[in-house]
Amino acid sequence: MSDEEVKANIEEVEGVEANSKVYELGYLLVPTIAADDVPVSYGNLKELVSSLGGENIADEMPKMISLAYSMTKVISNVRSKFNTAYFGWVKFTMDAQKVLELKKVLDLDIKIIRFLLLKTVKENTIAAKRFVRGETYKRPVKKENETATPINKEEIDKEIDALVAV
Amino acid sequence: MKQDYFSANNIKFIDYKDIEILKKFLNPNGKIVSHKRTGVTAKNQRQLAMAIKHARFLGLLPFVVK
Repeated sequence: MSDEEVKANIEEVEGVEANSKVYELGYLLVPTIAADDVPVSYGNLKELVSSLGGENIADEMPKMISLAYSMTKVISNVRSKFNTAYFGWVKFTMDAQKVLELKKVLDLDIKIIRFLLLKTVKENTIAAKRFVRGETYKRPVKKENETATPINKEEIDKEIDALVAV
Repeated sequence: MKQDYFSANNIKFIDYKDIEILKKFLNPNGKIVSHKRTGVTAKNQRQLAMAIKHARFLGLLPFVVK
């Protein structure tokens, strides 16, 4: 392959990569939606993303949360107050220009109280749950009537051998 | 010296959805704890502050606790 061809190839690859970036859309849906209709709104949002050339990476079903503070949204000239909402998110790759269009569409959506569009990374960003320190070791309460069982040395040796073998 | 929480737990990207982690860095009034107290590296402290603010916007964390 000549140098020019290589250069053209690199540009092609970079062109695709540079324009499509990883985004995350977090949103709050109005709690007035019936629980059965939530998957429909969720599906619509995913469809909207894919219709703008977005490639889905990860997502989570909207689930009911209680908000840390009450939010207001004006829907058809009526100001409504919300203390709960369905929170969900979608992670996708999309062309940088298309994201602006997506934002415009979302701005007009009456089912969304708020949304947050962020640039992010492809990898899973939610840290896996590590050991919880809450469970501290408690000394077993000794029963007074319990008599100490004689220790069989051979058995213990066998157990230790088995452990070492593993 | 206290080690940075995020490097100790191998967290490379601080996510706004991870409110259990973010809550560790809020004081009882819901304010972000200063980096002097958290012992988090400057880079991570910036990411942390951003993540907390994003979580606040979406109602996952409070702005103030009365």
